[in-house]
Amino acid sequence: MTGTVRSAALDLEQLYQQAPCGYLVLADDHTVSAVNDTFLHWTGHRREDLIGTPFDRLLPVGDRILFSTHCLPQLAVAGAVGEIVIDVLGAGGVRRAALLTAARTPATATTPASTRVIVFSAHERRRYEQELIGALHRAEESETRRAAAEADLRFLAHHDPLTGLLNRAGLVAHVGDLGAPGTCAGLTALFIDLDGFKAVNDSLGHAAGDELLVVVARRLRDAVRDSAVLARPAGDEFVLLEALADPGDVEPLAERLLAVLSAPVVVHGVEVVVSVSIGAAVGQGPGDALEDLLRRADLAMYRAKARGRNRWEWHDPSVVDPAVGRLQLLGDLRRGVGAGELRLHYQPRVEVRTGVLAGVEALVRWEHPTRGLLPPSEFIEVAEESGLIRTLGAWILDEAVGQAVRWQREDPDAAPVEMAVNLSARQLADPALVDVVTGALARHRLDPSLLVLEITETALMGDPEAALGALTALRALGVGLAVDDFGTGYSSLTYLKQFPIDELKIDRSFVAGLGSDPGDTAIVASCIQLARALGLRAVAEGVETETQRLALVDLGCDLGQGYHYARPLTADALRAWSPALSR
Amino acid sequence: MLVSSPVAARNHVTVTGRADGPVVLFAHGFGCDQGMWQRVLPHFVADHRVVLFDHVGAGRSDAAAYDREKYATLDGYAADLLEICRELDLHDVVLVAHSVSAMMAVVAAAAEPERFSRLVLVAPSPCYVDDPGTGYVGGFSREDIDELLESLDSNYFAWAAAMAPMVMGNPDSPELGSELTGSFCRTDPGIARDFARVTFLSDSRALLREVRTPALVLQCSEDLLAPVEVGRYVHEQLAGSTLVQLAATGHCPHVSAPEETAAAILGYLQPTR
Repeated sequence: MTGTVRSAALDLEQLYQQAPCGYLVLADDHTVSAVNDTFLHWTGHRREDLIGTPFDRLLPVGDRILFSTHCLPQLAVAGAVGEIVIDVLGAGGVRRAALLTAARTPATATTPASTRVIVFSAHERRRYEQELIGALHRAEESETRRAAAEADLRFLAHHDPLTGLLNRAGLVAHVGDLGAPGTCAGLTALFIDLDGFKAVNDSLGHAAGDELLVVVARRLRDAVRDSAVLARPAGDEFVLLEALADPGDVEPLAERLLAVLSAPVVVHGVEVVVSVSIGAAVGQGPGDALEDLLRRADLAMYRAKARGRNRWEWHDPSVVDPAVGRLQLLGDLRRGVGAGELRLHYQPRVEVRTGVLAGVEALVRWEHPTRGLLPPSEFIEVAEESGLIRTLGAWILDEAVGQAVRWQREDPDAAPVEMAVNLSARQLADPALVDVVTGALARHRLDPSLLVLEITETALMGDPEAALGALTALRALGVGLAVDDFGTGYSSLTYLKQFPIDELKIDRSFVAGLGSDPGDTAIVASCIQLARALGLRAVAEGVETETQRLALVDLGCDLGQGYHYARPLTADALRAWSPALSR
Repeated sequence: MLVSSPVAARNHVTVTGRADGPVVLFAHGFGCDQGMWQRVLPHFVADHRVVLFDHVGAGRSDAAAYDREKYATLDGYAADLLEICRELDLHDVVLVAHSVSAMMAVVAAAAEPERFSRLVLVAPSPCYVDDPGTGYVGGFSREDIDELLESLDSNYFAWAAAMAPMVMGNPDSPELGSELTGSFCRTDPGIARDFARVTFLSDSRALLREVRTPALVLQCSEDLLAPVEVGRYVHEQLAGSTLVQLAATGHCPHVSAPEETAAAILGYLQPTR
């Protein structure tokens, strides 16, 4: 009986010591209190070294952290952990892959708590699992790459590669995502078009144009809320969509955009001042398609252009479709020219230094039978596009030259008044121009030197070679020639030097900041110096304040015109005004 | 009681204890879930309103709510913690946070100090990695942490299984229900790996000085993860903190020595009641 028990105990002891896995018993403080031969054999440790050693010392640091953060709490709370993959540090630091399973026996009245640990060698399984994990991570990575590639594609299809803004397709898709597809209820659209972008492209090249677009896109992005949608549907057009609660918020937004975009941009080493024309329209509720909203904003933008650019306009529902509207306008204008509805007003040009009247600039007005007195911005473009400008231009020239002579006759003792008349690009390109000018001068017998023809810088630089020919022919008549709106058209100095011109008219946008904005003041100063260097007369447009006038005196500008001196006046009003000035 | 709301479901928020008692919010540490607190709970439920939750990726949280970008820093976890407070309209919260959660508590308290009356930081460490430049000793090298990440990888399958079947019975612990055994410390292995990277590699030392909430630092004996020097450092940097050295060994005193841990916390809270 005793022998059987002894033998059974021996068998058990042998089973424990020689088991195909390592056994350890840990005391309550997780130090090793017993270990079997298999574990010693497998790890190369000696029993006397292990007894009393904290078990986690047998683990490399990573497993040790896991053991203390995961296994020990779980053992304490759940009583067991199963098949944790660990490395066991053998004698000499050799790592052996193993699976650890453990169960904890809580303390009783008579025995302290202990933990029984089984360690299986898991070399094969470990290698297999590592391969699986490696494959899993590779799969995750390739999935991430696939998703990234897909996102890239989607991005490319919906974005303008130059500026990173949405393109037209992206804009449509985005609006679709916003809610009810195709409707723009609650959205405000701003249609933003660069003024004079073509001139930049033509004079500085397309790479410079692209650079400018990128700058404009960046400024727009910085100027709007994160929630705003920005797109570049085409060329130099930008679209801003935003859910504005109050239509009153549009004005500050549009004004802000005008301001940030008017700061000078350096492209390809050349400082360029861009402005934009902005049209705004509000979504009309359900059923209002994006296309319609954008079309209305586009219409408003054209109105901003027509009203002088560098400004913004609301869409005016009373303005009919532009194509129809323009035809109507053209018909009206044709009739109006014939019916004598066109008028000339004259704005004094004054010697800055002395304040003496030097001449006038003739400005056309249209006395429309229903719309009242219209400025040229309302109808000149239509006239230009249709060719009516030839008739209109010839009438203006004839009327202005005639008026100059009438003033002379009315007051033969007064100094003769110089008459400045604007020529459009289309007129400049007209082979009959020289004959028209010659005819007017001859008909009224005006001294050609009293006539100044003003051509905008943009018109001259559109085709400088042709312009040079036309200017030379006009110059031969003895008339004076002026470059109008100077500073806005990116002149090539080479051409400027070749053109037989007499006068530079500095654009009003620079004169506006004269004496208050250091940048503008510097630009005006440079223009005046340039005029002087080329032997030209410098004329400042848009002089509105005494500060500006004083600055022009300091800078030695020759002539000035603007509200500070006088608005454009009728011929009679000018006569009344003129003696007051000379006095 | 399980709370039903999107935030509560995401973090498997449970509320127990005395409904009108002062709020104690328990935040579990790395490698476990809210089940870890169960041994100290009996000491709190009679007088406190006890709120428990699982970090996203741990326990019974909604693993689908895991957003790698959001949880790439402790801020993402701290934001969850604050959201829970807001959702349950918890005020004057005593936030008991263990291990890596201690620094989430620090982030949360720095962001919304008015929300918390006391912090209890159990075995905290603001930075596990040594910083030889400043002489700071966190206890680990960068290589050590890399090895931890490897170990986590190795355990991918063990962690992915809800629970490996137990070959050993547990006849001496009848108090442990089988449900608990089956779910205890269940962790999404992929998230655990990210979580380890975020928690063990983050450095919140600079943030400690921004915390104005009174705090108790519970320092364990022989804690591999948070050595005594680290606990002292946290105490020195946290204005108005109290340092208590526990006799409990290891990193989880609330598990290995729940009575001592609960007594230390309640003793600290006592004067405020």
